[in-house]
Amino acid sequence: MRLKVIKRGPNDLEIEIEGEGHTFCNVLRKELYEDKAVVYAGYTIDHPLVGIPRFYVRTDGSESPEEALLKAAQRIAEKAREFREQFKEAVRGYREKRE
Amino acid sequence: MKVRILELDDLHIKFILKGANPAFANALRRIMIAEVPSMAIDEVVFLENTSVLYDEIIAHRLALIPLRTDLESYNLPEECQCGGTGCSLCQVRLFLDIEAVDEPITVYSGHLKSEDPKVVPVKDNIPIVKLARGQKLVLEAYARLGRGKDHAKWSPVSACAYKYKPIIKINTELCNNCGLCAEICPKNVFEMVEGKIKVVNELSCSLCRACEKVCEKEAIRILGDDTTFIFNVETVGSLPPEKVVEEASKILEKKALKFIDALSSLTKEYKEGES
Repeated sequence: MRLKVIKRGPNDLEIEIEGEGHTFCNVLRKELYEDKAVVYAGYTIDHPLVGIPRFYVRTDGSESPEEALLKAAQRIAEKAREFREQFKEAVRGYREKRE
Repeated sequence: MKVRILELDDLHIKFILKGANPAFANALRRIMIAEVPSMAIDEVVFLENTSVLYDEIIAHRLALIPLRTDLESYNLPEECQCGGTGCSLCQVRLFLDIEAVDEPITVYSGHLKSEDPKVVPVKDNIPIVKLARGQKLVLEAYARLGRGKDHAKWSPVSACAYKYKPIIKINTELCNNCGLCAEICPKNVFEMVEGKIKVVNELSCSLCRACEKVCEKEAIRILGDDTTFIFNVETVGSLPPEKVVEEASKILEKKALKFIDALSSLTKEYKEGES
């Protein structure tokens, strides 16, 4: 994954996320909505054949866009981990009940 | 976040995921289809082919045969220490040497001999080509790990979808128990119990809302709960279904961690630029 800064202001950031698509960008966008400091978050993929998403974040100034992105990514990782643990346990429980 | 397994067998899993959002569920689904690696034949060397089919057609048929995948002992070619040229850590050779001597025969996936007993066709009865008397097929095939986004042969799942958990509300004050909804419902969600409409299979509802339309009294409301998802995942047999879901969550986590890495190197660049 490579990030390229397109535009950077005090409270907003526009980056290109090379090597990712809707799969990651959409969860990231949704996760940023949970952050109160984030005023705007969105992305576009200009053409499906080019496929490099351009991500835009704007905050209200109480934290930098980079911080918001970092926190959001951490929450995604945490959610994925939580899901995996819950899922493994559910499978184990299902198997035990079967036996 | 809570998970409950509804069905689980060798090829298929159905589970409920509670307390998530659609973006997360969709990320999981997309990763299962396009990014969980599995093994498939990627290169074929024909030594002899006197069958009626062209080499390319046979190669294509071979590629679509699902192979049992061992994710622990093999690397993706682009992540392998050999640099993707092909070594025993990222490649498996399969051989086929068959001739129709007296009788015409059908070549099946089971005729493929693999050098790794763990990486073999999932099913032995997949037909590849028919050989007439005297025709011969000798080939060497290389199987590699890959991702569904590069070619569908590498996708470990066939059907992989989720739906919102259905919420079916019947207003008993308006309902006249006419039974039209039970008649029209393609999933048999409703049943007449002692002259009254009852919801018996809430989870099998496909949210088609045919019952809403047919109800003259407008007594039924169908809603989808967008925090609870019913996943239905069917594999092709290369990986066990629970493994596919687990791998998908690992890949999502890895994506987030890689993003964090890339972001921190970006902020480091800023600081260096400023100083």
